[in-house]
Amino acid sequence: MADAYDVIVLGGGVNGAGVARDCAMRGLRVLLLEKADFGVGASGNSSGMIHGGIRYMLSDRSVTALACRDSGYIQRIAPHLLFRIPFLMPFASRKEGATLVERATWYATEVYVGTYDLFQPLKRGKPSTRLSAEELYVLEPGLRRGLAGVVTLDEWGIDAFRLCTLNALDAAARGADVRTWTEARELLREGGRVRGVRFRDVLTGEEGEARAPVVFNATGAWSPALARRNGARVPMRPGKGVHLTLDRRFSNYGVICAAVDGRQMFLMPHERESIIGTTDDDYYGDPDDLEATNDEIEYLFEGAASLVPGVRDARITRAWCGVRTTLFEYGANEDALSREHQLHDGAADGLAGLLSFVGGKLASYRAQAEEATDRILELLGRPHGTCRTHEVPLPGGDEVPDPALLAKDGLVAAPVAARLVYRHGSRAREVLRLVADDPRLGLVLCRDEGILAAEVVHCARHEKVRRLQDLRRRCRVGLGACAGVDCARIAAQLAGRELGWDADRIRAELADLLDQGWRERRAVLDGAQLAQEELVRGATGLLEVPW
Amino acid sequence: MTAARDVDVLVIGGGMAGAVAALAARSRGAAVVLVRRAPGATALSSGAISVAPDLGALPGEPLASRRSPVEAAQRLAAAWRDHPYAVAGVERLAEALAFAAAELGQVLAPPLDRRRFLATLYGSAVGAGLCQHATVDGDLLAVRGTLAVAGFRGHAAFDAPLVAAGLARYRPRGGPEVRAIELDLPALAPGAARPHELALALDRPGAAEALGDALRAALPAGAGAALFPPVLGLDPAARVLARIRERAGVPVAETLSDVPSVPGLRLHRAIEARLAEVGVEVVQADVAAAPAPGEPVRLGDRELRAAAWILATGRFVGGGIARRGVLAEPALRLPVQAAEGRDAGVQLALRPAASLTVRDRRRPQPLLSAGLRVDGALRPQDERGRPVHPRLFAAGAVLGGHEQATDGTGLGVAILTGFLAGRAAAGGG
Amino acid sequence: MASPGALVYLAWRALVAHPLKRLFRQRGSGLDRFRAAYVSEGLVPTRLDDRAVAQAASACIACGLCETGCELARATPAVRALGLHAAFRLYARSFADLPLAADALEACAGCTGCDALCPTRVPISSVVAHLRAASRRGAG
Repeated sequence: MADAYDVIVLGGGVNGAGVARDCAMRGLRVLLLEKADFGVGASGNSSGMIHGGIRYMLSDRSVTALACRDSGYIQRIAPHLLFRIPFLMPFASRKEGATLVERATWYATEVYVGTYDLFQPLKRGKPSTRLSAEELYVLEPGLRRGLAGVVTLDEWGIDAFRLCTLNALDAAARGADVRTWTEARELLREGGRVRGVRFRDVLTGEEGEARAPVVFNATGAWSPALARRNGARVPMRPGKGVHLTLDRRFSNYGVICAAVDGRQMFLMPHERESIIGTTDDDYYGDPDDLEATNDEIEYLFEGAASLVPGVRDARITRAWCGVRTTLFEYGANEDALSREHQLHDGAADGLAGLLSFVGGKLASYRAQAEEATDRILELLGRPHGTCRTHEVPLPGGDEVPDPALLAKDGLVAAPVAARLVYRHGSRAREVLRLVADDPRLGLVLCRDEGILAAEVVHCARHEKVRRLQDLRRRCRVGLGACAGVDCARIAAQLAGRELGWDADRIRAELADLLDQGWRERRAVLDGAQLAQEELVRGATGLLEVPW
Repeated sequence: MTAARDVDVLVIGGGMAGAVAALAARSRGAAVVLVRRAPGATALSSGAISVAPDLGALPGEPLASRRSPVEAAQRLAAAWRDHPYAVAGVERLAEALAFAAAELGQVLAPPLDRRRFLATLYGSAVGAGLCQHATVDGDLLAVRGTLAVAGFRGHAAFDAPLVAAGLARYRPRGGPEVRAIELDLPALAPGAARPHELALALDRPGAAEALGDALRAALPAGAGAALFPPVLGLDPAARVLARIRERAGVPVAETLSDVPSVPGLRLHRAIEARLAEVGVEVVQADVAAAPAPGEPVRLGDRELRAAAWILATGRFVGGGIARRGVLAEPALRLPVQAAEGRDAGVQLALRPAASLTVRDRRRPQPLLSAGLRVDGALRPQDERGRPVHPRLFAAGAVLGGHEQATDGTGLGVAILTGFLAGRAAAGGG
Repeated sequence: MASPGALVYLAWRALVAHPLKRLFRQRGSGLDRFRAAYVSEGLVPTRLDDRAVAQAASACIACGLCETGCELARATPAVRALGLHAAFRLYARSFADLPLAADALEACAGCTGCDALCPTRVPISSVVAHLRAASRRGAG
């Protein structure tokens, strides 16, 4: 029986989706299986930044150049998803006047970051500057007193969930079979080779088998468990990272702070919110069962407050976590990027053709995917072909419309149009066409995130939505400070109409959405957010009246 | 500065608890001043006053419950010893409910011995002890014939087929046949998407009649009543329900609401109107770090002295209880207690949010039932369990021991404790 | 982990290239150069009073009570559909986007009827007035 696919990709994070796209673009028959939704692992719970690999200037500048160039590529293929975040790295002196050693350190930082400027043009980054203390306080008045100066550093932020989704959607548009909420249960093996997977649709219970000579394992934190179940080994050192979200842009720019134990952390504006991050602790628990602990939250708060005292009064809306797939050990491989990631061949475990991906970073996903696709083609005994993932735009990435122009028709207000453009790029026009055809869909569901009824319908129709909680990642339903008080019920109704859900299913999906939100909010309930929670619980309490 | 005025009772807070307290005191002849800052949870309530959940009812089969609300409250008080119903005692609950329904008769319907089963926007049903005139004819046990759930064609927020499918589940338990219909309402401009704008549109002359005509034309055969989204008018004097019913020929009702809430707004306005009607002086001011009953307190630009005070400032939405790292009561700086597992106490108010909440969203959350601890006479207690002041009372959601937003007793507690506190403050029963 | 080659290169940067760059290629103060880089991106610093307004607006719990006292009568239908409290949720989370909200902010009649309706004490009319002034500043 001929294999239905050339490669089966396990995992819908940025690596799985990126590889699926590249393979599909190079003409392979691809099946992508994701056991939940795109980006629910490390990808979506990362800090949401496209770093340029500044620290590699210490060992190999070509790595930095590669990373910066790839950041530039991501801008080219999805310009609407990216936004600039200038970072401030403040200097503090222990005593009244700075010592010689301290001054030398500051100069060294200035030189180091200034050298990074050479690579910034690769990603349209701005040059760094060294500022005095007075200048620093003009730019960032909320910082604590007593700082001596600062070096600035330009980076890009991104909506990581949408990045994963767009890669997967593009793969599907190019012929890949993409299935979410479908779990790979078992690897099929024969004669020391992998032959395919047995899978199960989590929502319908349907089971099936798919055959391919190559299986690309990009299941991230779930890799070790998948490997163990199938008699293989994927060495990994999972690291849990927690972030806090504030309800609005709190500081003007990103600020690098030191946590109580000296670790570097940050408070940064991220699109229309702020993020405090992050922690890094070994985590051997269940990656499906992550919650931020009070210690982690307090750690982050304290670190940020040490530099930006006012943050204690800010409104924290949620605390979220992910598990990094840190390499267990660094190999002797001299290849620049593999210093940070590895492709494991399963041949040693009798699963030749199983390629497992460990490590890596969000910013280099495209280059990582290119390398992985080259390997997959080698395993298939085919020529590499031409990789074009760096120049072909992702869906909606071909053009960034002007929100003010989109709003001229009067269908939507300009701020809402801006949100649409940010999330959908040129496809914002398709969403607005839905409003033009049916004015009811011009209803604004969320005055926090600017979500239109039409956007929910568009995502449900075109973006592989199978559960209501997927909309959290597609268009931020229930993710804002408002905790879904305005949008959750109506989004459930609209999605239910599109996806043919009956009344019981709609209610169950809404309950699940509320559960997901509660998990991220409960440990940080305070101040206005606690009042918000009381309001939401009261409003949605009528959903499941037990009496 | 003129000398402080003397009154009998000062009520702090203008929601259901404060209003019932003021009215109860006033009805005994007391001179009452009510000070309030802004609408709170009462103005955001659903339109139903459940009074008490029937703990013995099967979940998901609300219509099977035949226990009266007062009986349910008695059972609840016996089971939940920290609940205000247990602390205050429910002997006078029926009297308090009747009092509230009479005082707020402009918007509240008289209570029955049994619950009324009212539909929600989600297609579920809630058993209510008291409800508004606008929902009375939607009582699922009272509909004779088919219930027509009517959505408006321009209005995406209300999903009539979803509501109808949900309500149809109750057919085996005595609920009616349910059908969904859709009406065109020209009065709905595309921009009028907010619930209160729809309600205002219906208040206008001709609008309710047009809706009634459209409804008559769309009613299925055998229709016994029609159920609308919760937007059926804001001003009771506009008689929107009656006007629709005259034209359509069937009783008409609305569902219970989520947020924003037109029924909540109606209730709030009815409260304001009744307070003015009976001569309770209402002052718009914020109260913080106030002294004690008998001492002069500053309210806005004047000073007042009241022999008895009733604190009815609400919980987190209303601002009666706040958390800025730790739980506190801002108006009088009274100690707040929280529960953790089986323990309740003032020291737990310092706990982090992670330990005062539990993972399962549906379960009771200690953080959300934090509030004041009171004695049987509704007087707030200090850390040692003694009343802070003999003439200081508290009522409503500011009391701890119940998660008023979700446990189905919020407004019932407000009415009972407001009534008892008001009568006690006025000196007597 | 630092390679010797990289260290030599960085030393050269520190002792030769960087001082030369500072001497010849950097014009104006650090602040001037920073502003020149970021003004075009809209990433201008907000002031402390902007921060205070944002902080006050954070108390909003999206209850919609303020809108029951606001007509936004002078607004276009699309803006009216958004409602009043979008002013301190959607529009105000990023000061850089304020110009997009100019229509909505100009529609406020300044009646201050909303202030008495907010359960969580958002000083609504002064927030809107401040945002309107900020958006005019940004546009001009």
